[in-house]
Amino acid sequence: MTGLALPAIVLMVVVNAYPVVFAGIQAVHDGDLLGLGNFVGFANFQDALTDPLFWRSARFTVIFSLCGVFGSWMIGFALALMLKPSFPGKNLFKILLLLPWIVPIVVSSMSWNWLTATPGSLLPTLAADLGFGRVMFLADPTMAMITVCIFKIWISYPFMMMMMSAALEGIEPNVNEAARVDGANARQRLRYIVLPMTARSTYISWILMAMFSVNDFATIFLLTGGGPVNSTTSLIVLAYRSVFQDFRPGFGVAISFLMTAALVTMSVILLRQMRKANMQ
Amino acid sequence: MSTLASRPRKLALDPRRAGIGRTLLTAIVTLVMLGPILVVFWLALRPRLYTEITGPTLETFAYIFAETDILLWLKNSAMVSILATLISVIVAAPAGYVLSRGRGGAVSAYSLFIFVLQSFPVVVFVIPLFIMFASVGLVDSLSGVAIIYVASSVAVACWMMSAYFDTIPVTLEEAAWIDGCSVFGGFVRIVLRNSLPGVLSTAIYAFLLAWNDYLVALVFLRSDDRFTLPIGLQTFFQQNQTDWGPVMACAVVMLAPPVLIFALLNRFFSIGGIGGALAGK
Repeated sequence: MTGLALPAIVLMVVVNAYPVVFAGIQAVHDGDLLGLGNFVGFANFQDALTDPLFWRSARFTVIFSLCGVFGSWMIGFALALMLKPSFPGKNLFKILLLLPWIVPIVVSSMSWNWLTATPGSLLPTLAADLGFGRVMFLADPTMAMITVCIFKIWISYPFMMMMMSAALEGIEPNVNEAARVDGANARQRLRYIVLPMTARSTYISWILMAMFSVNDFATIFLLTGGGPVNSTTSLIVLAYRSVFQDFRPGFGVAISFLMTAALVTMSVILLRQMRKANMQ
Repeated sequence: MSTLASRPRKLALDPRRAGIGRTLLTAIVTLVMLGPILVVFWLALRPRLYTEITGPTLETFAYIFAETDILLWLKNSAMVSILATLISVIVAAPAGYVLSRGRGGAVSAYSLFIFVLQSFPVVVFVIPLFIMFASVGLVDSLSGVAIIYVASSVAVACWMMSAYFDTIPVTLEEAAWIDGCSVFGGFVRIVLRNSLPGVLSTAIYAFLLAWNDYLVALVFLRSDDRFTLPIGLQTFFQQNQTDWGPVMACAVVMLAPPVLIFALLNRFFSIGGIGGALAGK
């Protein structure tokens, strides 16, 4: 039976595993895009860990990912709850609400760019009318961080909505019904029935979304390019720039490896804990 | 008992009370959420700069089809995405079957292997693949890009297939095996034949990933005539920053295929089950 996995294994070894190993070799060399260069040991890792920009980017990566995970989970879960009972038009809304996830990021980043950064467009005008003056949604470092995070939440909530909708469908209606008969109100049912019974899906969706967010290059790069003054540079954007703009693949790969190591460690701990807790 | 039953229920979780009020609330939420997408359509109707036209117009569409390479980008994107989708499903279906039915150390190791590889960002793969592809002539080639899309979707594709196979009772294949069917025969003739929704679901995922990618195309596609939509559109956007009409008309062309596919096939699409495949049973 295991032979059936062979095509996938061959493919993944050639296009996934081999490049990772090769990149690992690059990480301990000082070459450019054309040649491997000299062996430098862990100098690239040392450079990364002593670079203030690395830590700044790490900080933004954490902020961006936490927003991506919990922001989109809260909205996605709320929408899944809203869409659970049947009501007129339910199926149409279910599809429409997935659109931010389906529309290509190249397209949505352009429309967010227009919404937030074009003089006279919706959000700057609204902010001015509300008395905030000229808000620079993408030109001010702090505002740009907030805007990128909201953009990420907007792109990602449909994924969470799908995950949580599937989880909610798994709850036997009888359980909720029984709790209702016993006098549990909505908040109690959410707290003691719905949340525990969807906990497994919740954790898994967090892990997946953390993975997607940390590795998300296009969302940030297309909206802000990592600026202004590096305020929205995440580790993956920094790695991309080190490789393709500064032509230091070893340094860029070292950054990616440090990032992935942290990510895998975190995911494995979470998955372990899930299994230990024997979640439903 | 009766007091409980007659208590007002404004509760989010009550399936019986939902009605037109819920429809209204959902409609408002949906409208807010889709704002940025409506903006795309609204801007696409804007006349081009320095033209006589005022008010909404479809002239921008005539313009982009006549004056840009958008049809070529569309064709390239379609070819890459369809190729990537086909390979992804063909490779992931049998692998997902092993993940779903297999037990023991080898399968667990395989599962972990997929998970760890999935955790690496594409940036890590790009240069080694670039060097490897350069030696076999796959740089600046649509097939080369399609292969990388397969590589980046295959992990989730395996989980999705496996999640679907989990819903098919193993007794079906066992009956076939007893009747002398091979493992492969049982997989193709019993399991796969009953897995259309799972296959379509996986295909939609792989297609979306390939259609929407930006980074791989940016690095690998060099000549104008091999540009896919994201790169073509981005280049066009950079050249016409302030002329939103034609830019957004191109954007409408780019978002139409995935949205149409999803509108037609959404009832088959389900990604919620991948947790089981990821976290183990």
